[in-house]
Amino acid sequence: MNGKQEANGGERTAGAAAKRLSIRDLNKSFGAVHVVKDLNLDVEPGEFLVLLGPSGCGKTTALRMIAGLEEADSGSIHIGDTDVTRILPKYRDVAMVFQSYALYPHKTVADNIGFPLKVRGVAEAARAEAVRDAAAQVQMETLLERYPRQLSGGQRQRVALARAIIRRPAAFLMDEPLSNLDAKLRGYMRAELKHMQHELGVTTIYVTHDQIEAMTLANRVAIIDQGVLQQLGTPRDVYGNPANLFVAGFMGSPPMNLVEGAIQNDRFQSQGVDIPLSGQDFAGAATLGFRPEDAKVVGAGEGLFDGRVYTAELTGEQTLVTIRMGEATMSIKMPKGYDVDFDSEVGVRFGSEQGFLFDTQTGGRIEARVVAAS
Amino acid sequence: MSILDRSGQPARSLTTRLFEPPAIGRMAPGSKFIVYSLLIFWAAFVLFPIYWVLITSFKLPIDVNRGPVFLPWVDFTPSLHAWRELFIIDYEDTLKAYFNSIVIALSSTTLCVLIGSMAAYALARIQYRPKLGTILLFVGSMAAAFVVVGRFGVDWRLSVAVALAVFYFLARALRRRFKVSVANGDILFWMISQRILSPIVVVVPIYMMFQSVRLLDTQIAIILTYSVVNLPIVVWLMYDFFTSIPIDLEESAQLDGATRITTFREIVLPLSKAGLAATTLLVMIFSWNEYLLALFLSTSRAQTMPILVAAMNAGERGILWWSMSVVIIVMIIPVVLMALVLQRFIAKGVLLGAVKG
Repeated sequence: MNGKQEANGGERTAGAAAKRLSIRDLNKSFGAVHVVKDLNLDVEPGEFLVLLGPSGCGKTTALRMIAGLEEADSGSIHIGDTDVTRILPKYRDVAMVFQSYALYPHKTVADNIGFPLKVRGVAEAARAEAVRDAAAQVQMETLLERYPRQLSGGQRQRVALARAIIRRPAAFLMDEPLSNLDAKLRGYMRAELKHMQHELGVTTIYVTHDQIEAMTLANRVAIIDQGVLQQLGTPRDVYGNPANLFVAGFMGSPPMNLVEGAIQNDRFQSQGVDIPLSGQDFAGAATLGFRPEDAKVVGAGEGLFDGRVYTAELTGEQTLVTIRMGEATMSIKMPKGYDVDFDSEVGVRFGSEQGFLFDTQTGGRIEARVVAAS
Repeated sequence: MSILDRSGQPARSLTTRLFEPPAIGRMAPGSKFIVYSLLIFWAAFVLFPIYWVLITSFKLPIDVNRGPVFLPWVDFTPSLHAWRELFIIDYEDTLKAYFNSIVIALSSTTLCVLIGSMAAYALARIQYRPKLGTILLFVGSMAAAFVVVGRFGVDWRLSVAVALAVFYFLARALRRRFKVSVANGDILFWMISQRILSPIVVVVPIYMMFQSVRLLDTQIAIILTYSVVNLPIVVWLMYDFFTSIPIDLEESAQLDGATRITTFREIVLPLSKAGLAATTLLVMIFSWNEYLLALFLSTSRAQTMPILVAAMNAGERGILWWSMSVVIIVMIIPVVLMALVLQRFIAKGVLLGAVKG
């Protein structure tokens, strides 16, 4: 795992109420399925932490355990200095935004937003005031008398957010809050969410399977696969310095190109590939990885290895070239003006900083550099 | 056969013109005629008995005996004779039965819906895993207690207390031995299975039970019996309604700081109004119309309306069609009113907008 754990804290303004959230050795099984395995996380006060992983990786279960909706089998959860592992959700002082929004259909927008205060016995007048404030923060103050069924998806999302922020909780928990919105609205709400969290400075844990959301929203990203934390770091860190094969193959769109082969005598060898390495003493099955945007298509023989063009697709902002080399298929992003004939023989080149090597057996990183001929 | 005729229009024979709809979602004239004829026939079939009851209640015995006549003022002269007899001369018996019916229907329905919906909510939201062995042990120790009371005349309080103590210690000792457990689905099925038996099967034991506690011919006996008989239906229907409420809503309420009771009152109950209304109506109608159990459990003081109707059939004066009709009409009215009031709540789309965009 990567050693770097400091957040890009400079742009964070922790609110007065913001609290640290610590998770120690958290475990959860459903029957024979071990969904969360020995999870350890420290979320700084006011930090925006994203739990990222494919569906079924245990990220939502982890969030639900923090919320208190699921009981932990073992381990502990602390919010601030309080151990909340075995207490009811209502004593945890966390607010959750559900994927489904979970608005109360028989209550108006105002009553939905004010519900957390109502059950706490806040007086009518103070409540109305707080509801107006919270609604104004999400630009819903003109729709207070509507019912959820009369709102659009984005508006329902805002109501759910307002209901979460109205009582200034110690932490926000968000379970894929944007996944039910259409693509355009999702981008807009993402920016708004980021801004709002920054303004409020409340510790936030956000669950998503969408790496764009993770990259853009997070101070730090925790990547989880099969219940195990794979890497915890800043978005820049997990993208630019993947700790293992899973992270490398998961992040990026398209993800990192992976070429399976073996390291022998300080050389990475695969079908049609033979690249000298430096700074390592590993030998055995290995995988070479490089990002589509880090590589260039060059003339045959001019790169690190040669391949055959399978397709070239103009996506608008760039040309995505797919190259086949033996069994392996790789994507390379080229400028939008680039054009190449299908089936032509080309070379692939990238710098020594841009190639990553992994142990194919364990998936772990091998600290080695590609010696790139210039 | 060509689909298009000479002018380029689709070919239309007489049958197609009569039976092919002019557009999707509309009806062809021929089909319309057939459908409406069937509906009118059916409506007459259903409405005629009500009409018959209505006019019969305004007939004199002589008009009834004269043979089938149907048109007031033409075939016979309407008279309030039967109404007067039941509501002025014999009003005590009529009103007593009416009053009994109302009290019994309202109380048993309230009791049953209250207990039944709480049970249904518990079954919908809490996982039960009681051990089969523990249940059998409890039933066994209770049975033993009753045998001891019956055979040896031991004081029943002592006997039950001893049985409970024995159950408690045995259950604790044997807990780890019991492997088979039952789940919510089993409990639900067991409840609904109670309704598979015909009431006639249990009516004699129920009679003897109330006889031994000297509650025969009381409203309480009938109220309790109806509540128990209807409980499975309430649990079954309400279980379905409660499980259809997205669990997210309740979880969200819990996170917002609500207790279980508050969640039930603020979120679950308002969202199950439709279900509660439908269930209440169903149970109320059952209680109002029930005949067999009431026949066994009441003799005079607790008599309900269906018993009164049946009594018109068995008097020494022969079948009193005119009086029977009056009683039937006053029996129908409250049910119709109830249905009108409650159908307002049985609206769809209550959950719309709760989850998803």
